[in-house]
Amino acid sequence: MSTSHARRSTRDEQDRIALLQGTLDLLILRTLRLGPAHGHAIVKAIESGSDDVLLVEQGSLYPALHRLIERGWITFDEGTSENNRRAKFYRLTAKGRKQLDIETSRWEKLSSAIARILRPAPQG
Amino acid sequence: MPAMWRKLFGGAWRRRALEGLDEEIRAHLEQEVDVNVARGMSVEEARRRARIAFGNIALVHEDSRAAWKWSWQEHLRQDIRYALRTLRKSPGFTAVAMLTLALGIGANTAIFTLIDALMLRALPVPSAGQLLQVSMTPGDARESQLSESLSYPVVRALADQRDVFAGVGGFSTFTFDAGPPDNVRRVDGAFVTGGFFEAMGVVPVAGRLLAREDDEVGTPLVAVITDGYWERAFARDPAIIGQPYRVNGRAVSIVGVTPPGFTGAHVGWTADITFAVSAVAQVRPELVTLLGPGNIWLRVLARPRAGVSVDQAAEALRLRWPELSQAAIAPTFTAERRAGIASARFTLRPGSTGWTNLRDLFRQPLYVLMTLVGLVMLIACANVAGLLLARGIARRKEIAIRLALGAGRGRVVQQLFTESVMLSLGSAALGLYVAQFLSRSLVDFLATGPLRLAFDLAMTWHVLGFMVALSLATAVLFGLAPAWQATARTPVDALKATSGIPPRGWLLPCVVTAQVALCLVLLVGAGLFIQTLRSLQSLDTGFQHQGVLLVDVAGQRPQRFYEDALEVVRSIPGVLSASVATNTPLSGAGWSEKVTIDGVTQEREPSFLAVSPQYFQTLQTPILRGRDFTAGDDGSAVRVAIVNETFGRRYFARRDPIGSHFMASVAKPSVDLEIVGIVSDVIGNSLRAAPPATVYVPYFQVQVMSQNFSSLQVRVNGPAAPITDAIRRELQPRMRGTPVEVRSLTAQVDSASVRERLVTSLATGLGAVALVLAAIGLYGLLAYSVASRTREIGIRVALGANPLGVIALVLRQGARLALAGIAIGIVAAAAFSRLVDGMLFGLSPLDPATFVGVSLLLATIACLASCIPARRAMRVDPIISIRAE
Repeated sequence: MSTSHARRSTRDEQDRIALLQGTLDLLILRTLRLGPAHGHAIVKAIESGSDDVLLVEQGSLYPALHRLIERGWITFDEGTSENNRRAKFYRLTAKGRKQLDIETSRWEKLSSAIARILRPAPQG
Repeated sequence: MPAMWRKLFGGAWRRRALEGLDEEIRAHLEQEVDVNVARGMSVEEARRRARIAFGNIALVHEDSRAAWKWSWQEHLRQDIRYALRTLRKSPGFTAVAMLTLALGIGANTAIFTLIDALMLRALPVPSAGQLLQVSMTPGDARESQLSESLSYPVVRALADQRDVFAGVGGFSTFTFDAGPPDNVRRVDGAFVTGGFFEAMGVVPVAGRLLAREDDEVGTPLVAVITDGYWERAFARDPAIIGQPYRVNGRAVSIVGVTPPGFTGAHVGWTADITFAVSAVAQVRPELVTLLGPGNIWLRVLARPRAGVSVDQAAEALRLRWPELSQAAIAPTFTAERRAGIASARFTLRPGSTGWTNLRDLFRQPLYVLMTLVGLVMLIACANVAGLLLARGIARRKEIAIRLALGAGRGRVVQQLFTESVMLSLGSAALGLYVAQFLSRSLVDFLATGPLRLAFDLAMTWHVLGFMVALSLATAVLFGLAPAWQATARTPVDALKATSGIPPRGWLLPCVVTAQVALCLVLLVGAGLFIQTLRSLQSLDTGFQHQGVLLVDVAGQRPQRFYEDALEVVRSIPGVLSASVATNTPLSGAGWSEKVTIDGVTQEREPSFLAVSPQYFQTLQTPILRGRDFTAGDDGSAVRVAIVNETFGRRYFARRDPIGSHFMASVAKPSVDLEIVGIVSDVIGNSLRAAPPATVYVPYFQVQVMSQNFSSLQVRVNGPAAPITDAIRRELQPRMRGTPVEVRSLTAQVDSASVRERLVTSLATGLGAVALVLAAIGLYGLLAYSVASRTREIGIRVALGANPLGVIALVLRQGARLALAGIAIGIVAAAAFSRLVDGMLFGLSPLDPATFVGVSLLLATIACLASCIPARRAMRVDPIISIRAE
């Protein structure tokens, strides 16, 4: 058990990638598309969804959530978490759903553009 | 939540989103701990790792808050709450600052209210912006001889151009005697041309207004009244519409009432009763010539037809005038005058603010006053800035802590500035009362002058906007610099500084110097105006106004009436003498004639007055040689005249005027007059002008139109009130249908200097306020400086400085500031006083006595203001002051 922990810890330091500026918003929106979730669940979903490759500084989630509320893309309901704490369950708004589509296609364009530059297709 | 909703109630929503963030984070951490523990970590390790994974909790709080883009409104709300708390904590500072500013803002607003009422406010008519004032320049005249008055036929000709103008209205003010015979009142009114109300576009509240059909000779006599008069005289009784009412002894039918707020187009004059011009023939038959082309007496406002531009209207008039002008030319005109009128040019200028002769009279005084109150405002700002600077220094630790905790400098400046804005807005609210009171008093004061004014002084948007802008500008003036300086030091410096080290700000001394300089400018202005008024009041006018009553007996009356009236008045106990004359000094009216001496008609026309016996005795104008008129100087005797010294000097320099003859057309044709006496020079209609050459002719020997403005002069001994009553009682039965108006000659003389008195009393008051403010400013600075140098002074005393040296230390600091201020002020005052040269009398704008006197006064006050802090410095006990650290 403790060895596995040690291995993970190494991976933390070496292989995990810090999030690109602005991508956290996109990931939150994507996560919430699957249904309402509270803060911790969102972090975990992002981490596990990326096969633990992406490193989310967990605290930075909250400013991002507030930013998204401010923009009207998500909203929240008061509820109780699994460990019986008062928690906020965040969910996507209609506007947020539309924004997710926009951001997704933008991201795809960006990543394919970067991919083309990094690995140019063999010239005919 | 819809965006709109969020915007409005952003605060509440924000609180809800941020609320429980603490708990949310705690829950988050616990969940992470649970996960970690489930992975096999010890609880302690799990907690540690959860913390690491989460990051800086305080920063998360801060960033979450920041994510909300705290709007400026919210910053503002925070700042306002903080500012209110801070201001409440130092009530002394707040009270002094607010009173100072309220005084300044109030005075400025009061003057601006007058400027607004007189010059800026549009007439209360629909689309006032469309109105044009029509003035005319005769073809042979220079552009500067533009006449704002037009003759009745010209106005009618303009009004007939229906394709150009929707309405053209000429108007002129008059007074009427109105009411039932037993209760006749003098009422302000006007004559207007038939198109007047059409041009104004106002809608009656009752009945109808005058129309073009009413302005024809031979139509029934009708009038409209104002809403205010309807209220005062008829208690808004609708039944009076169409009923006959007596005006100037004629039955007049009141056909309608103008809407509330509308008092005619002559600003400052409430035309309660308005007639069509054609009614002159019935209401004032002696003035019937006003209907002809020879009299130019109507001011004109026109409203172009929709779609006609100002240029098009002007062009149309230019093209049509040569033809139209025929109506405006009388056959008796000289060929020159005919040509001048036929080739006259019209000028169309914006007329939305109506017309008033007051503008020309009061424009300069009001601008001067505006400048003076502006100076007071600057001094008040400087004072409050000084207070704030001192406070900023006292608060430097608080500010340093806020800066150290990470508040941006801009944010702290913003906060301090909010305090200033709160102060000035609070003061503006107070200033509102000051302004209302002041502007009311100003109008009352002006009403003692020759011109009656009726102003609606209700707050308008102009005034309110001015006030808000002013208070914000003052906040910038007195608030920004202190805030900047207060935040200028680095937190470390400020925290290290102990109370004993004097802050070496340059701003505070500058402010005090500026105050002294501004104060000097104001005091020089006040001094110059005081001297001007004094020279005007001590002027040898050639008569004694004290103890003389004037009784208005205008109108055409038989000679018998005057003889009879004089007889009964002279018999009233307490009456020393009484006379009747066509005019009195400084009345504003005048009559001049050409005279022919030795067959040569003189170019300059002397003034003429027709006076009865006892006139010179009543006015106490010395008869230098010859005799007064007597009862024998009537139509049956040799025609005689009395002349003044100037007349004698000008025309009879080489011989004795007494017994000499000259020709004058006192009554047509010219008659020969024999000079029987010479009197002292008496001032004419202006205190500032030299006495005009004057000819007095016997009242009962002439028949002139000027007799319409005649008055009785009554010299009384003792209190005037009972004699006034007696005069009313005796004369009223002889003057049926006219109110007997009795006033004092003193009031008439005072009214001639109303502008000077207004400016002088205000400038003096403002100068006193400025002096007090500047003294407080200097005192405050020195007191503060002494307080913060207590330790230094203590050490000096301990090292053997003598008390006088300590006093000198403080006095020197005060003197340096005051002298610098005085020097700058003298230069500024010299520049400023040149601008008011035209308003001065009897002294130069650089009058050395005034400049020296004011400088000495300021120096003395500065010395006094320095004395108290200096004494305090002298009493510093070295032991206590050093131990205090």
